[in-house]
Amino acid sequence: MSNVSLGAIPNSYLPETSSIEAGGDGNGLNFGAVLKNAIHNVDQMNSSAGAQVNSLLQGGGGDMTSVMIAVEKADVSFQLMMQVRNKIVSAYQDIEKMQF
Amino acid sequence: MASPPGIDVLQGYLKVLTDRQQVIVSNMANVDTPGYHTKDIDFQTAMRQVISSGGEAQLQPASMELQGLPERPDGNNVNIDRESLMLSQAQLQFQLGVQLVKGQFSQIITAIKEA
Amino acid sequence: MGMFNMMQVSASALAAERQRAEVTAVNLANAETTHTDQGGPYVRKEVVFSATHGSLFHAAFSSAGNMAPAGSVRLTDVVDDPTPAVRRYEPGNPDADATGYVSYPAINPVTEMVDLMGSVRSYQLNASAISAEKQMIEQSISILKPS
Repeated sequence: MSNVSLGAIPNSYLPETSSIEAGGDGNGLNFGAVLKNAIHNVDQMNSSAGAQVNSLLQGGGGDMTSVMIAVEKADVSFQLMMQVRNKIVSAYQDIEKMQF
Repeated sequence: MASPPGIDVLQGYLKVLTDRQQVIVSNMANVDTPGYHTKDIDFQTAMRQVISSGGEAQLQPASMELQGLPERPDGNNVNIDRESLMLSQAQLQFQLGVQLVKGQFSQIITAIKEA
Repeated sequence: MGMFNMMQVSASALAAERQRAEVTAVNLANAETTHTDQGGPYVRKEVVFSATHGSLFHAAFSSAGNMAPAGSVRLTDVVDDPTPAVRRYEPGNPDADATGYVSYPAINPVTEMVDLMGSVRSYQLNASAISAEKQMIEQSISILKPS
């Protein structure tokens, strides 16, 4: 099976892979790596948005629009990640069902 | 084909508008303050910066004094009608910006769900 | 400055204009007062506005809560109008001086009414600014709601 590229997430950013990766050949589906990357991005966006919201709540006079946009970006990233996760799990289950 | 402005550019647009709003609001508050001169920011230049830098966070805009407004005897040159007009304009532009941002997010979400 | 400080600036204008209207109302009420506790006729009062200085865009101290944001206006002083009192010949008046003249405050009701209308108009202007600011905040928040 060839490497599956999910488009927007470049393979060059892959962190260490998990056990989901097909063992042995380097051409395995790097689903675990892709998911890890997505989670990492979401985490970063979440922290950044969280920090901005905290600053806003404490009356820091922050720029309200940027905070709202940051929060929405984090939310959308999360949704993207959930979809990626669902696809990966579904693909994994499909693979499991295959009988050899 | 030119694509519609991305979220970062729109964020810059909204920030420039917010800055302009601050200046307008200060002008309005000081409509009766002796010696106070109308201030404004250079909207076009600021937007050019936003678009060319792809929406990077802007440095504080320069607030400049507007030339050509007649002064009343107490030295104040704030024109109520001008400020009201600028306020309405800024309001509508802000609304436009927010709608565009929502549209962008909505597109992304649709793309995610349809995948 | 941020959106919430903008509202503070407009609110400062509302407060200042209202104080100006109050002073004008007192002037009007005392337009014919020939005798006060300090002796002599009522003296017309005028207000002095001044703007808070500072860059409009550096939020520095605004969040500390005590300092007014740059661009706010406030009433710094209420001063006496130096215009001399108006003298009218009324020998029968208990406040008449030796020559029979009574000193009245140099207050022209028309001037005071025009001042009052000016305050009202400025007040309305800044009230509409607050509405606009509120609307901007609400719209920012609406970014989070599903469109």
